[in-house]
Amino acid sequence: MKIKKILTLILALMLVVSLVVGCSSTPKDVGKKEEPKKEEKPAYPERAIEFVVPFSAGGGSDILARTITKIITDKGWVSQPINVVNKPGGSGSIGYAYVAEKKGNPYYIATVSSSFYTAPLLGNSPVSYKDFQPVAGLAMDTLALFVREDSEFTSIKQVIEKAKAEPKGIAIGGTSGTSDDAVMYRVLQDKAGIELKYVPFESGGQVMTALLGGHVDLVWANPGEALNQVEAGKARAIVVASSERIPGFENVPTLIEEGINAKLAQFRGVVMPKDAPPEAVKYMEDVLKKLSESKEWQEMYIEKNSITPRFLGHEEFAKAIVELSDMYAEIFEKIGATKK
Amino acid sequence: MLETFSSLLYGFTVAITPINILYCLIGVVTGTIIGALPGLGPSAGLAVLLPITFGADPVSGIIMLAGIYYGAMYGGSITSILINTPGDSAAVMTTLDGYPLAQRGKAGPAMGMAAFSSFIGGTFGVIVFTFLAPALAKAALSFGPPEYFALMVLGLTTLSGMTGESPVKGFISALVGLFLGIVGLDLVTGKPRFTFGMMELFSGIDFIPVAMGVFGIAEIIVAAEEKVNIEGLKNADLRWHKLFPSAMDWARSKWVIARGSVIGFIIGMLPGAGATIASFISYGMAKKVSKHPEQFGTGAIEGVAAPESANNAASTGAFVPLLTLGVPGSASTAILMGALMMFGLRPGPMLFERNPEFVWGLIASMYVGNIMLILMVLLFVPVFVRVLQVPKPSLNAVVIAFILVGAYSLNNSMFDVWLTIGFGLLGYFMKKMRYPGAPMVLALVLGQLLETSMRQSLILSEGSFSIFFARPISAVLMVIALSAIFLPLIKSMLKRVKVKNVSA
Repeated sequence: MKIKKILTLILALMLVVSLVVGCSSTPKDVGKKEEPKKEEKPAYPERAIEFVVPFSAGGGSDILARTITKIITDKGWVSQPINVVNKPGGSGSIGYAYVAEKKGNPYYIATVSSSFYTAPLLGNSPVSYKDFQPVAGLAMDTLALFVREDSEFTSIKQVIEKAKAEPKGIAIGGTSGTSDDAVMYRVLQDKAGIELKYVPFESGGQVMTALLGGHVDLVWANPGEALNQVEAGKARAIVVASSERIPGFENVPTLIEEGINAKLAQFRGVVMPKDAPPEAVKYMEDVLKKLSESKEWQEMYIEKNSITPRFLGHEEFAKAIVELSDMYAEIFEKIGATKK
Repeated sequence: MLETFSSLLYGFTVAITPINILYCLIGVVTGTIIGALPGLGPSAGLAVLLPITFGADPVSGIIMLAGIYYGAMYGGSITSILINTPGDSAAVMTTLDGYPLAQRGKAGPAMGMAAFSSFIGGTFGVIVFTFLAPALAKAALSFGPPEYFALMVLGLTTLSGMTGESPVKGFISALVGLFLGIVGLDLVTGKPRFTFGMMELFSGIDFIPVAMGVFGIAEIIVAAEEKVNIEGLKNADLRWHKLFPSAMDWARSKWVIARGSVIGFIIGMLPGAGATIASFISYGMAKKVSKHPEQFGTGAIEGVAAPESANNAASTGAFVPLLTLGVPGSASTAILMGALMMFGLRPGPMLFERNPEFVWGLIASMYVGNIMLILMVLLFVPVFVRVLQVPKPSLNAVVIAFILVGAYSLNNSMFDVWLTIGFGLLGYFMKKMRYPGAPMVLALVLGQLLETSMRQSLILSEGSFSIFFARPISAVLMVIALSAIFLPLIKSMLKRVKVKNVSA
């Protein structure tokens, strides 16, 4: 009988382990860091902050959130722990809806990426940017058009020529229907007056594999995603969608330089629920500003992801969000994707 | 070759430092536990334990995370065999023969065989990886949409082996699974299908709530209701030497394990396929070529060896695209890739040149990890089996709690918990009415990839089905699949003709 008791105890212990692993939100022991040296302790934050990533672990938003958290925590800039929590599903809508529900509560922050703008426009999300308080913009990301190293194409002009001679002869890979790369494919078709074959895949990794394996000819991807293939001489970029050339790809012309009037820039940043107290917004904005000026941020995030750093305070970021949302709205209108 | 050996030796000098051995041990122990806990799979475990590694040296960190990943494949079989509840998705097939074996008092040999085939599959995977990774990466790239489609068709042919007593009921179950697979945002148009306005369904129905419901919760309800025969379980002879599979078991399983390891590694290498599909196909193949297929599902030891060798080989195979191409093939490897990037490393073709200490240290640690795992599992099997001595009501309650926590951990959302309970009820009625659950789960997993790859292929070929036969790999797979379907038919027809001739 004794054995049974012990075993029941062991099972109970395992259950505790499972609860901790299953429900925990990656605790960070910031407690060991010294208290801020200021005489007056700031009112915010009084307790742990939940950093919500509306996508699964390992993706672009996840890396952004975890890098921010790591640097801030290592430096001891925030006196309370920051817990990164993944709430994936519904192309970001679930995580965003979860944060928007916490109206006025500054202990929830979230990353911003393209579906923050696109999902509401497509009618796939109950919340939109209007339900959030922008905190700060951190960096701009864009897309570049990649081909295999041994591809016949060296410029976008050649692609257009071939596509005109042979409509639907070139296959372009990308992720699902309404993501940035799919949007750019339609913009390119529209502006250049060509027709391509769009083959959708479930993840960016699968798209890249299809390009390298020769199953598709072109791929729009974030430069950072393809940097390793470029360095290894497996793929090259023929054009970028930013308004100016980007670091790491200085030899690659922009679409505008090539005579195609289109651009796409995505702002990566951080938001809080709407009506968050101004002093909390200011506090977080200051921390993120310090972050954006740090050497670690430059090394760990900006360079690794071939991203353009650009810090925007909460007011400018709010403006940028409206502009971006309008830009997507206009594109969707044109390609007929908006939910009527 | 020589160069590889010296690199590997160099790797061992990295992996066999005390600190890295410790990290490896922590990784594989945690992995085994997470794998054994129903519902908690490697990706949930990795996501949670990721931050712990940030303070560590990158090599140590990744050695630990990789240990969690392949360790989970060992752990998954434990609960499959003992309580008919798969510890993770790759262990679903292990329940089919593992649990009947346990009911007959053979839990020990079943778990022993699971451990040994896991070890053989895993080690085979690491050896192949060591010597052939770059070449294999190229081969993996030649798999495009038509090849995936052909592979999924081949996978579906294994369905016929899981229909149990009534093929009609088996196929109904499979059709329900195929239907569940189409729920979610349509990949091509981005429009929702059968989501009834629920955002949670946009990304589709995950395989884990279905498997946990149908295999876990349903099993517990039925067991609570009926007196399931667990006498065999309780009286199992669990002295240490009894764990080793008998010579007879080995004779039956050796080719199954060899085939499972090869199939597993190849499928594991393909982004998007992975360990779960590998275990399905390996099991199906083992049954197809077996001399006594009728024993499968009633407690054939090969039925444990086939999926377990395959899922471990697959988890190692998944490192091929991750490390050599910089493309993660699954949710778990995506997290590993995120971890690598946070350590400041960029997985991809240049990794071998730029960070050899890292790559070879990791590879060497996988040899060490597999040895640790087999020793650990064998040592602790008698302890694990004691779980069955826990009074049934307490055990069931705890297992249900595990399942629900695991479901929550998928997306940190209650929705998956309700979904799991819903599928538990469905599974209960299916069991009552003798509809087998495995075809539904298999069809759900394969169906999503089947549809995606078929539509991708048809976009590429502009609607022509000839694309599936025009490319060599896809043509070969299609021919194997079609012959698996039609050969038995033709054989039975020939037999009938012969009988007629004789009687005439």
